[in-house]
Amino acid sequence: MTAAKTPAKRTIGHLIRRLLLVDLFKGLMVTFKYNARAMYEPREGGNPNQAIYTEQYPLEPARVSERFRGAPRLNLDPENGTTLCIACDLCALACPVDCIEVGSIRREVREGEKVNKKKVLTTFIYDTSRCMFCNLCVEACPTDCLELTQSFELAVYHRAGFRWDREMLEKGINYVRYKK
Amino acid sequence: MTLLLVAPDWVLKLMHEQRPNNVFWSEYIIWPAIQIVVVLFIVLTLIAYLVYLERKVSAFIQARLGPMRVGPWGLLQPLADGIKLLLKEDIIPIKADRAVFMIAPIVSVVAALVVLAVIPWGAAWATIANVNIGLLFILAVSSVGVLGLVLAGWSSNSKYSLLGALRSSAQMVSYEIGMGLSIIGALMFARTLSMSGIVDAQKADGMWYVFLQPLGFLVYLVSALGETNRAPFDLPEAESELVAGYHTEYSGFRWALFFMAEYSGMIVTSAVAVTVFLGGWMLPGVTGTSLFGLGPISSPTLHTFASIIVFAAKIFVLIYAYMWFRWTWPRYRYDQLMELGWKWMIPAGLANIVLTGVWYVLALPKSQGGLLELMRGGPGARLVPTGKGIIYFIVTGSVVTIPIVWGLLATINRRSRDFNLHEQRQLQMQLRRERLEKMLQQPAAAQPAEGGQ
Repeated sequence: MTAAKTPAKRTIGHLIRRLLLVDLFKGLMVTFKYNARAMYEPREGGNPNQAIYTEQYPLEPARVSERFRGAPRLNLDPENGTTLCIACDLCALACPVDCIEVGSIRREVREGEKVNKKKVLTTFIYDTSRCMFCNLCVEACPTDCLELTQSFELAVYHRAGFRWDREMLEKGINYVRYKK
Repeated sequence: MTLLLVAPDWVLKLMHEQRPNNVFWSEYIIWPAIQIVVVLFIVLTLIAYLVYLERKVSAFIQARLGPMRVGPWGLLQPLADGIKLLLKEDIIPIKADRAVFMIAPIVSVVAALVVLAVIPWGAAWATIANVNIGLLFILAVSSVGVLGLVLAGWSSNSKYSLLGALRSSAQMVSYEIGMGLSIIGALMFARTLSMSGIVDAQKADGMWYVFLQPLGFLVYLVSALGETNRAPFDLPEAESELVAGYHTEYSGFRWALFFMAEYSGMIVTSAVAVTVFLGGWMLPGVTGTSLFGLGPISSPTLHTFASIIVFAAKIFVLIYAYMWFRWTWPRYRYDQLMELGWKWMIPAGLANIVLTGVWYVLALPKSQGGLLELMRGGPGARLVPTGKGIIYFIVTGSVVTIPIVWGLLATINRRSRDFNLHEQRQLQMQLRRERLEKMLQQPAAAQPAEGGQ
């Protein structure tokens, strides 16, 4: 037998609710609360707990998820400002679309009293037009040098601009910042 | 016919005329012209900013920001919209009836704007034409607006426009009746049709008529929503069904005229509601002699400006309610709309008139000599008593009338299809259950030897 979704007997309470249009006024209260809160609450875009969710993107920074993967960056050693990259080429090997090219030379590096022959980074090309931001290169990096940041503004005017060199990767791009 | 002469002294001085008789130019030409220009300018600007307000209210209700880019907080958005609409191409479909197509929006907007002449915006000189048939004039002229919509729908030669026009004409005609009926109860207390006269009557009684006529006010509010084609009764322009309704084929400034007519209709219906039910420009505290007890006002000009602000504030509250309703409630289905108009609003209006009349006659003191004396009273005679009488009318109007009418209509309309949907569904389910049981029993009875099946 089909199960009855609605109660078989309607109570007097239902009838009164229906006659006094209680549900309509409940709806009005909900919308009025939103309207009133929108008038006085401070606005920060993208906060779901606030009455206004809108973020005015170019005028204020857009919120992205914590795990968002955007523009790549080569981190520097915070103590002496030299690059953390050891030119091990693991990121280039890990990359499924071959968008990373690591250039290096072997040369003698003085470390304290000893002089070691080491691989040293010269160039680092990262093609953002081919990258699919899968994070495999970052996971491969043994020195936490390569990182995908939260910046997502990757549009450029020219196709050549997609090839980020070592300087861009270390310093980042200068964006135009708009004010509210 | 008593026409109130209200031109201020500086107009008389300008035209070198004296008060008692020689006032033709200043009273009938110059001062009305000034008033018309000022009222039209203010109302048209207000309409533009009502669009802005509507966009903001809808945005806030939906957790958005609304227009923010043109000017601070988007305050120049109406200006930008106006310029855009002026510069847009005015497209007339090839197969449209050209002349009617061009006239229709003008009919609509003129009907909507002419009504502004008799609305009492404030005390003393703030009314353009203080005629003694003000309310009738408003009801008559605003219903001409339907003609504009019908003409637009017919001349566009488009199915969406025609359907929208059909719906809007049916809707506006049926809601006009409820609107007219709902006002009559208040007119019984006011005993005049002049808009300023109604406000003065409320002042004399010391009571807004919404307290004496709560049912009339409710019926008026609902009917006004239907009359102005606003949500939840915006079927003529239901986007999801009719693209845009009667103005589907219109573009540019002709479309803007329809828009102006709609918002002007909103202003007029709320102005009538404020005048008839909410005491017009009256506010406890704002009187001819003092402003919120801040001491006496020396100039009557200041009092008039205060009264205009009070009137505007009351209109604003009603218009906000209109927008609030629009962005909260879903649209009615067409048959539900007609049912609400014909089966609820019109009977409620009629019952309100009858019951108000009954309370009125019952309240007549013996010294007044009963009903006949009342009819001989004339327009000046005031019948609403003070003190106990007011309490009597409030109690009869709200505590007695509303439950009686509500119960009566609910009992009658219970038989209608929609109200009774629950029981119909129960009946349907019961019938299906019986049918299924019969089907299960029959094979068992027909072939008992096989068993199981």
